[in-house]
Amino acid sequence: MELYELNLSDAIQGLKDKKFSASELFASCKARIDKLEPEIHAFITRTDSTPPAETSGLLAGIPTVLKDNLCTKGLRTTAASKILGEWRPPYDATAWAKLKEAGAVLMGKVNMDEFAMGNTCGNSAFGPTRNPNDLSRVPGGSSGGSAAAVSAGYVPFSLGSDTGGSIRQPASFCGVYGLKPTYGMVSRYGLISYGSSLDQIGPFARTVKDLQLVMSVISGHDPMDSSSFRDKDHDFTHREDVSVKGKRVALVKEFQSFTLDAPIAEAMAKTRKVLEEEGAEIVEVSLPVVARYAVACYYALAMSEAHTNLERYDGVRLGYTVKDAAGIKEMFERVRSYGFGPEVKSRIIAGTCLTEPTRCEEYYVAATKVRTLIAQEFTRAFGECDFILQPASPSMPWKIGENDEDELKGYEADLYTLPVNLAGLPGLSFFAGYAGNLPVGLQLIGPRWSDPALLDTGVILERHLGSPKIANGGK
Amino acid sequence: MPELTFTPVIGIEIHIRLKSDSKLFCSCSTNTDAAPNTNICPVCMGLPGTLPHLNHRVVEQGMLAGFALNCGIRPKSLFFRKSYFYPDLPKGHQISQCDLPITTSGYIEVHDAEGKLKKIRVHHLHLEEDVGSLHHSASDGRLEGADTSYVDYNRSGTPLAEIVSEPDVASAAEAVEYVMTLRRRVIYSGASDVELEKGMMRFDANVSMKCSDGRWGHKVEVKNMNSFKALERAIEYEIKRQKKIMLQGGEVMQETRHWNDAKGVTSASRVKEFYRKFIVEPDLPPLFISQEWIDRVAARMPEMPDVRANRYVNEWGVPQEVADVLTDDKNLADYFEACVKAGANPVRAAHWVRTEVLRVLNERGQKIQDFAMRPEVLAEVVKRVDDGKLSTTQGKEVFDHMAANNSSLDEAISALGITEGGVAGSALNEIIARVISENPDVLEEIRSGKDKKGKKLKFLQGLVMKETKGQAKPQEVAEAVAEAVK
Amino acid sequence: MKLTSEQVNDIALESRLLLTEQELAGATRYINNFLDMLDRFKELDLKDVEPFSFAEAIACPLRDDKVIAFADTEAILHESAHVDGSYFKVPRIMEGE
Repeated sequence: MELYELNLSDAIQGLKDKKFSASELFASCKARIDKLEPEIHAFITRTDSTPPAETSGLLAGIPTVLKDNLCTKGLRTTAASKILGEWRPPYDATAWAKLKEAGAVLMGKVNMDEFAMGNTCGNSAFGPTRNPNDLSRVPGGSSGGSAAAVSAGYVPFSLGSDTGGSIRQPASFCGVYGLKPTYGMVSRYGLISYGSSLDQIGPFARTVKDLQLVMSVISGHDPMDSSSFRDKDHDFTHREDVSVKGKRVALVKEFQSFTLDAPIAEAMAKTRKVLEEEGAEIVEVSLPVVARYAVACYYALAMSEAHTNLERYDGVRLGYTVKDAAGIKEMFERVRSYGFGPEVKSRIIAGTCLTEPTRCEEYYVAATKVRTLIAQEFTRAFGECDFILQPASPSMPWKIGENDEDELKGYEADLYTLPVNLAGLPGLSFFAGYAGNLPVGLQLIGPRWSDPALLDTGVILERHLGSPKIANGGK
Repeated sequence: MPELTFTPVIGIEIHIRLKSDSKLFCSCSTNTDAAPNTNICPVCMGLPGTLPHLNHRVVEQGMLAGFALNCGIRPKSLFFRKSYFYPDLPKGHQISQCDLPITTSGYIEVHDAEGKLKKIRVHHLHLEEDVGSLHHSASDGRLEGADTSYVDYNRSGTPLAEIVSEPDVASAAEAVEYVMTLRRRVIYSGASDVELEKGMMRFDANVSMKCSDGRWGHKVEVKNMNSFKALERAIEYEIKRQKKIMLQGGEVMQETRHWNDAKGVTSASRVKEFYRKFIVEPDLPPLFISQEWIDRVAARMPEMPDVRANRYVNEWGVPQEVADVLTDDKNLADYFEACVKAGANPVRAAHWVRTEVLRVLNERGQKIQDFAMRPEVLAEVVKRVDDGKLSTTQGKEVFDHMAANNSSLDEAISALGITEGGVAGSALNEIIARVISENPDVLEEIRSGKDKKGKKLKFLQGLVMKETKGQAKPQEVAEAVAEAVK
Repeated sequence: MKLTSEQVNDIALESRLLLTEQELAGATRYINNFLDMLDRFKELDLKDVEPFSFAEAIACPLRDDKVIAFADTEAILHESAHVDGSYFKVPRIMEGE
């Protein structure tokens, strides 16, 4: 067995037991990256040219990668956009600062859809990333690079961000575990904003236990993020003696008539059976507002927030710029027109349009009210159940270049993930087996702050459904 | 046909810098005099990934300023993003409480054209962040060609209160009184120093005209006034301009106009104004203010200047004009009250502070805080003059000597050669003059030669001795009175 | 069609975006489809619904008024191609901007 194949907790144990050194682990991961990266193209910036200095802490010597919308002091951070140019942030994102403090070693910054807008990782100024399980297919997005890097054995864990499914969908496409934590659980300071009220940073790993380890490091209050919660203590300790006996796991009534790709429907049935055998009760909850309005509500709000988050890119203080503009307006127009990709431009225009005074009540304000209804609907549902089980995506990973024409159809594919962000809930994307060489992932959702309980349940599911293998490019 | 009359309808928006050490949403210093772009950080530069973090003290400053305008405090207020593109605005939007502000409505009293008090209603006060500053010449002062601008972000993110009035102002004079009274009250509250020369107060005015024939002109927003004078002139200009248009049967356009202080005119701005609805700032949860917190801050509110001035007039008999001057500066009024507390007669102390203390301060370009003479010492001088131990002239000499040399009262008296413990010289002469002037018939008798036995002269000498409370030498009194009646 | 391509172009300019003809056509189609999708909101009675602000009644945390200077302002300035001396030098702001 090669060292890069070790999952996070085994790598930590091996280093502690001195079975191998941090530099051997680093070398093994680097060799793995060197071998597969020309095909997978997960990286935007690599930082593994020289072996790292010795570190200490829970994650001492553990290689990792970060989605390139997490700020790293002195290291280029692009959000996969031309507009950020060669920008090197003068500060670290809090989540990365915590990992670094715990001893983690950065191998690089990985690919994503530009400003996290997309679900294929193909909408990047640096070109698409390929799914390590099948190089002709997308890894999912927007955190496709983070998912692919863990799936391909580059690193045992990574960080991504999830605004409407950007951790859970690529986790399921790549065959790894991914957690979108409760909104407010992980500091957003240093995460380049897309939809601020929806964004949340979370981990990818190849076991549930590894997610627990990473969450124990990155969660917690941060005074730099006013939306991060204080007075909340979360125990992410891994336990084997967990049970779902007597727990009510719900299926959403309205989703039952929607079409799923066959392997996903089969995985749902299999998972349901596992839970029942473990003593959980399968119930049904009704989410009519979610089913019909969540997609529209989500995009209205995400774009309204996004267009204001993207107003700061004007070429004055950082990133791509022009030096020969005749006036300031011309400078802003040239910088933004060249710097943003087409999907980002469309969303900026849509967001601007929705918040114009003539349309604001009709669209933006209406969406904020629909969001209230959606949050209330989930609160009611969690009065009747402990968790909700549903797909992370209705489709298996599609071929690169497919589904590119009709953006809105692509948006509908996010129905299973984005309501979770609207209500600020945690969602676990878990591995549920293979269909051929492609992994199938599903999603378990809980009420706010149920992240530890979700992961405990994930441990049981992993025990029965198995852990994913490291992907070899479909070979 | 009856002559048409016009009534101006004016609303005023004021931006005031609130006093704090650090900025509204980050820990950078608010010192805008620092070298350019030194008081900056990732947050106030709007760098990607950064988030705002609200300053506790600024919230309280907003509450204090609100109290100064007779506003209530809202238990829940919100922040919004107000979008526009400009190089001095790092995020491309300003974080502002515009839609759900920290205060409810209030008012400021001013005098109308007939001298009667009227209320100018304050719609609300809200908190927001300031933008950076733009310069059109290089740091070395050298003027560049007109093709570049220089941005300094030190001011970016410093805390502002925006105060929006109802359109209750009817003249430029009312506008000026409104902003002056408002400024004084805000300074008193401690919310801001409102130093005008540092640009801590900026004005916009909405001016429209109502005509006696029922026509009502459109509202014109006049921007770019940075002094009381500019505000007054801009409003006067705009009233005249709109009246002329309406008299000629024209229609006043709804537009934004800029005040050009050098030319003394307003001119239409060609900038297209976007009235964009604000979105809720998703990075800041609602600001909740408990009644207990409101009470705690309200307890810190000092007596307001107009209330204080009225007290001086009504309780102590200080003339209104003097009371207004004393209360214009809270520290000066505090100084005056300390004098009274130390035993000085309020009316006399008021005049001393009004004339002598202010004269010295003006000469030196100092503030009362810089004045070394303790109020208790000034009170002693006032008392001695009152008691006749020092003549008014001597008192002023002593005062000047102490102020100039930073000396004690005793040092000043001995340095000036004023006899200690006795009434002599000019002090004695003042008493004699007063006694004589109060007894014109006695003087007349002496001068007409009727006082052959010198009884009347002795009578005057006795009165003078009594006035000096026995502190003068009888021989001196006798000689001086004899001399005075000649 | 709710919005013409001219209207979409105006919104783009307001966002400081210059669109090619192809981009404009794409954006116009995109926005109109999107607004159609949002029309679903009209099926709901939202009159008495509070707008959502935060998932829980969380109060805005407050910071002490303490100055902590940022250590590396040079690193901020270093990232701009427009820094001239200690200022950011930008093209002239023309009237109408």
